[in-house]
Amino acid sequence: MTFSKMVVTACLLLLVAYTWPIFSQGAGNSSPTLVIYGFSILEEVISSGILPAFQKRWREQTGEEVLFYTSFAGSGTVTNQIRFGAPADVALFSHTLDAYRLKEAGVIQHDWTALPYNGIVNRTPIIYIVRPGNPKGLSSFQALRQPGIGIVHPDPQTSGGALWALLAEYGAFAFPEGGGSAAAHAGMVDLWKNVIILGSSARAARTQFEMGFGDVLITYEQEAVKDLARGKFNHEMVVPEWTIYTEHPAIAIDRNISPEERPLVETFLDFLRTEEAQRIFVEYGFRSITDPGLDAENRYFSKIPHPFTVDDLGGWPRAYSEIVEGLWRERILEEVRP
Amino acid sequence: MINPLQAARVRLPWRGLLITMVFLVLFPLLIMPIGAIFVFATRDGLSRFITALTGEGAQFALRLSLFVALITSLLNSVLGTLTAYIFANYRFPAKRPLGILINLPVAIPTVVVGTSLLLLWGPIGLVGRYLDPLGFRPMFAITGILLAHVFVTFPYMLGAVKPVLDELEVTYEEAAYTMGAGRLKTFWYVILPSLRGALFTGTLLTFAHSLGEFGATVMVSGNLRLRTQTAPLYIFSQFEAGNIEAANAVAAVLAILSFAIFFILLRVTEREEPA
Repeated sequence: MTFSKMVVTACLLLLVAYTWPIFSQGAGNSSPTLVIYGFSILEEVISSGILPAFQKRWREQTGEEVLFYTSFAGSGTVTNQIRFGAPADVALFSHTLDAYRLKEAGVIQHDWTALPYNGIVNRTPIIYIVRPGNPKGLSSFQALRQPGIGIVHPDPQTSGGALWALLAEYGAFAFPEGGGSAAAHAGMVDLWKNVIILGSSARAARTQFEMGFGDVLITYEQEAVKDLARGKFNHEMVVPEWTIYTEHPAIAIDRNISPEERPLVETFLDFLRTEEAQRIFVEYGFRSITDPGLDAENRYFSKIPHPFTVDDLGGWPRAYSEIVEGLWRERILEEVRP
Repeated sequence: MINPLQAARVRLPWRGLLITMVFLVLFPLLIMPIGAIFVFATRDGLSRFITALTGEGAQFALRLSLFVALITSLLNSVLGTLTAYIFANYRFPAKRPLGILINLPVAIPTVVVGTSLLLLWGPIGLVGRYLDPLGFRPMFAITGILLAHVFVTFPYMLGAVKPVLDELEVTYEEAAYTMGAGRLKTFWYVILPSLRGALFTGTLLTFAHSLGEFGATVMVSGNLRLRTQTAPLYIFSQFEAGNIEAANAVAAVLAILSFAIFFILLRVTEREEPA
């Protein structure tokens, strides 16, 4: 054998040895598994908080070790992946609209509105983040109308947080002075003239803001609170007087769940609404859906004088067709085009 | 022998100026971005780099990518060689359009490949809708990633092997036949050995492209941590999630691997050229 042949053989053997876990994957593994697809900002609380807690709980009850596989991306991306066959057992969406889409596609068959809290497991208001010291002196959605402010916004095409941001903007302009949809239209056109970057998810938008782009990042309160609690937050949070509570559902994906898996999935979904899980959500910066009293445990939550919800805008199907499609996509996007 | 064309070539004046200019442009364009990966990787000490690299998710992603690259190279070395062989030796109807078609993956955007695979094999796809009830779901699994990679990298093996086959002297084959070797024996002992260099180059090219494939993979893989997340997808997800160190550690490894492969390729082609 020549030297170069020996090198090639050694490289090949090394390669096969290193990748062996993949070759042997799936052989003789009978542990129960749960595949979870979630929208971007949930990654930390699910992976480091909720899953270990549930794993412990399930071990105590059954003696079995649950295996988890997770994937996190923008809510719209997750929805499309599941629609095209991604093997999710449970999906955590940024909003119920994505569940409606999957119901239409036949992927979800049950009625989640029959679940406690309509399937919602936690919530957090839309706020915005500015550079240290708030150099532009911003304090409300109104303030974002002035020219010369650069806004980093998640992309409504792929991000659920972006849709919530659109509803927050709508309500913040429409409600205070009773101006209704005409006031919202005028306000949002000015605001959207200032949008300089669209991030594919709330997390991606945050990363772009961190890389130094823009003066303002419109995002979830959780994004700021999570870092505040760790003393890692080096920006400033602005809590508008009027803003929306985003509500996040966890839903079983019927197409992918076999009858044997069903009990595990149901137990997991119920677990998300237990006090233990709600406490974990609060610890990671989400607000509790079952017991607002738990919110007191996180001192970084701000008081919001005039919060509203998607129900105040007529529910998701209506809010989507009137505000996202009718107002934002068909009118505002056209009008802000340079 | 001196190539007469080369000897007659007229060169631009201002040699020094031109060379400096090209390097001034190339430096920030090509060299600095790659350098940034390594500067960033070692900035906070090597131990943090190693921690980021030895994490479960990073290790799995690297293993999966190498595994997929290995299988893709194996599949395409067989498929590509056979295809090159039939194109070099047989006549059949529609040979010309087919010849163009099999080289098409070079020109198609990879993200289009991913989309088309989903629209074919996905549960609502043209073929997938009949397979789905049978429990066969190639998409969002390793099978789907392999399908995408075989598609995307197919022309590399073909492109390496076909020119050699085209130029292979028929006389060797004829000699083998006259000496009583069968067709299979001739293929095995005469044709394959002359393809060795081409097969090696083709395999390395396929391997390198598969290792870095992103556009098609992101569409068909489902991006499941510890199951279907390849190294490039890991880099993308970690970067999006703001874990820049984790993303960068794996990026640095991919960069080193591609350098190594490129280096070997250069050595091999240089050694073969004078012959």
